[in-house]
This record gives sequence, C-alpha cells and structure tokens, in this order.
Amino acid sequence: MDKRENALKQSKSIESVLRIVLTSIGMFVGILLPIIIFLSLYRESSLAINHFGVWNFITSTDWDPVAGKFGGLAPLIGTLIATFLSTLVAAPISLGIAIFLVELSPNRLKPILSTAIELLAAIPSIIYGMWGLFVVAPLFGEKVEPWLKEKMGEFPVIGKLLEGSPTGIDVLTTSLVLSIMIIPFMSSVVKDAFNMVPPIMKESAYALGATKWEVIKQVMIPITVSSIAGGLILSVGRAIGETMAVTFLAGNVNQIPKSLLDPFTTITVTLANQFAEADTALYLSSLYFLTLILFVISFFVLYASKIMLLQLEKKWKV
Amino acid sequence: MSDIRMKVKNLKFYYTGEKLALKNINMPIYNKKVTALIGPSGCGKTTLLRCFNRMHDLYPGNRYEGEILLDGKNILDKNVDLMELRAKIGMVFQKPTPFPMSIFDNIAYGLRLQGIKKKGELQDRVEETLKNVALWEEVKDRLNVSAFSLSGGQQQRLCIARTIAVRPDVVLFDEPTSALDPISTAKIEELLVELKKNHTIVIVTHNMQQAARISDYTAFMYLGELIEFDLTDTVFTKPNKKLTEDYISGRFG
Repeated sequence: MDKRENALKQSKSIESVLRIVLTSIGMFVGILLPIIIFLSLYRESSLAINHFGVWNFITSTDWDPVAGKFGGLAPLIGTLIATFLSTLVAAPISLGIAIFLVELSPNRLKPILSTAIELLAAIPSIIYGMWGLFVVAPLFGEKVEPWLKEKMGEFPVIGKLLEGSPTGIDVLTTSLVLSIMIIPFMSSVVKDAFNMVPPIMKESAYALGATKWEVIKQVMIPITVSSIAGGLILSVGRAIGETMAVTFLAGNVNQIPKSLLDPFTTITVTLANQFAEADTALYLSSLYFLTLILFVISFFVLYASKIMLLQLEKKWKV
Repeated sequence: MSDIRMKVKNLKFYYTGEKLALKNINMPIYNKKVTALIGPSGCGKTTLLRCFNRMHDLYPGNRYEGEILLDGKNILDKNVDLMELRAKIGMVFQKPTPFPMSIFDNIAYGLRLQGIKKKGELQDRVEETLKNVALWEEVKDRLNVSAFSLSGGQQQRLCIARTIAVRPDVVLFDEPTSALDPISTAKIEELLVELKKNHTIVIVTHNMQQAARISDYTAFMYLGELIEFDLTDTVFTKPNKKLTEDYISGRFG
C-alpha cells in the first residue's frame, strides 16, 4: 500500500512539472512567437510605414531604390495572381488524383502510388525551381507558348492574355510549376480525407443502386468537403509563401503583369532578390514592410479558412 | 406455407484468399414474411445477408458458388446488373448512415437514381415514404434541414425510408437496432412488422428476443453452416437440433 502511495505521489509531482513545461511550450509557440514575429517585423518596417503611409505603399507600383521611392502593389498583385492561378490548376488535378488513388487504382498499386505522391511533396522547393528554370522555362519559351499564341492568339479574351513575347520566364510557367509543387500536398490531404469516409456510408449509397461515380460525387465529396477545403487552403498558404521556385521563374520585374507571358514579381521574389542589395535604411525598411504584408496575408488566409471550415462542419457534422 | 420469394441453393462463399465463409447454404425466403438470421459472432449471418444484394462485389477477390434465385432468376449470375439488383433488394445497416444532405434529399436520393426527376412526383413519394415509417409528423416542417440534425433513432427510420422509397421487393436489415436505445428499437421493430405487409424482409440480429418477437421464420447459423431453418415458433420452442437449443437457451453465443 505504501509503495502504491509513494508511486502516486511521485507521478503526481511529475505530472505537475510536465503540465507547466508543456503549457509554457504551447503558449510560447502558439501565442507568443507569432506576436514576437509580428512586432519585430512592425518595428523594422515602421520607417517605411511612416514615410509612405500604409495605403500609399500598398497602392503604389513605384520601386526605385535610387530615388528612394517604394510601393508594394506589383509584388502584392503578383503574389495573388500566382497563388490564384496555381490553385486553379492544382485543385481539380489533386481531386482527380485523390479519387483515383482511393477508388479507382488497383489495390496492389495503391500503397506505391500514395507513397510516391507523398515523396513528391517532400522534395525541396529549390529542386522544382531549378527544374522549372532549366527544363520547363525553355520548353515553354520555345515550344508551348509560341504554339499557344499561334493557336489562340486571335481569340477575344484569351488572345489578350497571350500578348507579349514568349520567354518562358513569366506568369504562366511560374504558376504551372507552383501548381505542380502543391499538387502532391493537396492530393494527399484530399486522399486522407476520402479514406476517412466510413465504408458503411459508401455501402449505403451502393445499396441503393448508385454507381461508383455517383457515390464519389454525391456521398464522398460532400462528406469530405470541409477537409477538401482545408487542404485547398493549406496549399494556398504554401503557394503564397513559396519562394525558391518562383524566384527562378518570375523574372523579378516590378510590374503588374497584363498577360500570362509577362515577367513579374511576387513579394517573396522581391525579398529574395533584394535583401542583399538594400543599402539604405528606407530600402531595407520597405522590404520589411513587404514581409509584414506577407505575414498578415498568410495569417488571414489561414484564419479565414479555419472559420469557413468550422461553419461547414457545423452545417454537416458527421 | 406461403410463396417462396427467394431461394438459396448450395451457396458457398469465399472471401479474398479463398477463406470459406459460407458452407453450402440451402434455404428459402418467403414472400412478405420476416426471416431472421441468428447465430453467434462469426457464424456467417451477415456474410449471407450481404450475398443477397451482392455487397461483396465491392471488394475484389470475393467469390460465390451456387445460386440465389429471386423470382426464379439467379442473382449471382455474372451478367446481372448490380445497380438494378440493388434497387430491387434494399439494405439497412447497423448504424444510421444519413447522407450529408437534407432530409428530403436523403429520401429522394434513390428515387433520383431511378430517374424520377419531377418535383411533384418526388414530393409525393417522399411524403408517402415518410408516413410509412411514421416519421412524417416529426419532420414535415423541416424537410430541408440536414439529416444529421435528427436523433439516432430518427436517422435510422430515415435510412429505412430511404431504402423503401424505391419500392424494393426485398429489404435486408443488418442488425438495424444495434446502435439504438430501447425506445427507438421498439419503434423500429413495430415498423418492421408494418413493412412486411408490402415487403419481404430478411434481418440479421444478435438479439434473440428480437428475432422471436418480429420474425416468422428463423435460420440458425453456426461456423458458416445453416444448422436449422424453420418457423420461428418451432425454432424457439422445440428446435430439432441440440446446437440450436443450446444457443437459444443461452448456453453459448
């Protein structure tokens, strides 16, 4: 009896120490760290904020280090365009891959393909960037883009999007390589969601005479819609912050792209290319301000996604 | 004895890897009667039930031998259209499985699969079906609300409604009350007795009292074999086999 009491006492004191340690780690990482990062970014960018004003900075396309004029509109728009286009391409493809992996592929292939796709998600992004620069960009600049221009350059809206000279260093290749980068991640999130659907749910639909496609469309996708949306948004978060691949392919030209074939810049591209050359305090502070903007966008995208997911789950809690 | 609706002839069933799960089953399923399949866990009763609507075909490697005749036609035949078969032989599962859609759409689901598109006809059929499962009064004001808002017992009645909405000939029940409280269970049992006016019912149950209360015929299975099949009264009062008697008197199970 005494032994048990001693053991209980000991385990209780371990428990209380553990509780304090884990709570402080959790508080630090979850709450303090983001606040510290935000505050330090804010402090570094305060010079630019005071000099230009928030609104003027984010609505100006100026970027003239010599004259000391800086504005964040071009990289901001560039980030949004690249993110939007790559998600637009990646989302349906990822959904397709997930459906194939879970429902269509032969059982023997399933584990091999799933692992292969998860491995793709783990490839460092600089590899995608190099591949994009040395393989995709020349291919697009020399073959694909001239072909697209020839075939569709005369169409009313699409034609406008294909104006400019095909170089391969532009919005189109950047967004495509970016989408290839997020497809593995997105499809493995969606695949996991599909695998969580209880077999009995699928069987219920089959038992009513539904075909495989009807079960996927009417039961599996609706049940997993919140997880799919969650995966989508996490991928958007990755696309927003992606640096290496984009740095190689965007062209680092501070302009708002008017066509898919224009070179452009994103927040991360501007940062990666220019931090080393920022020789004045205002220049450096402007770069910090861009960093702050990126931080805030990422934060809001994730925050908005969490709220959206909660509402979806409330509506269709399974 | 009434007419035979289905007939199981020399049925053997192998799961993937040639594991023999049903050993030569022979039994009739009588028209508009309730047939209960009882037996200890692993005896093959659910496996047998899932042969009737070819549920095993969803998973590769499963194999049937023998015949199951529905109105004289072998439903195990290779060229049977499974979608069509499953519309004729419906199934209700152990747990309520409402689809992530409104109450109305859940009931209309099977009807829409059958190609019924007209709003008026759908509404009539949904109302009629919900009345048949005694759910209409409880849900008529919130047909467009998510089916997940219903209680467990209501969800299960909704699933029964969804199954009978397409007017199947036979309805299979796989332990339909195992996840429900006693009051909901009683309601489902009442409903089953009501349903046999128009449907042929096969039910797998772990609950022997339930089998005794609601079924007309009982099949006792053990280790993949059909030990005894007879009128429920006979099976529960003077069974032919020692094994059956031991099981229903609770000596094993």
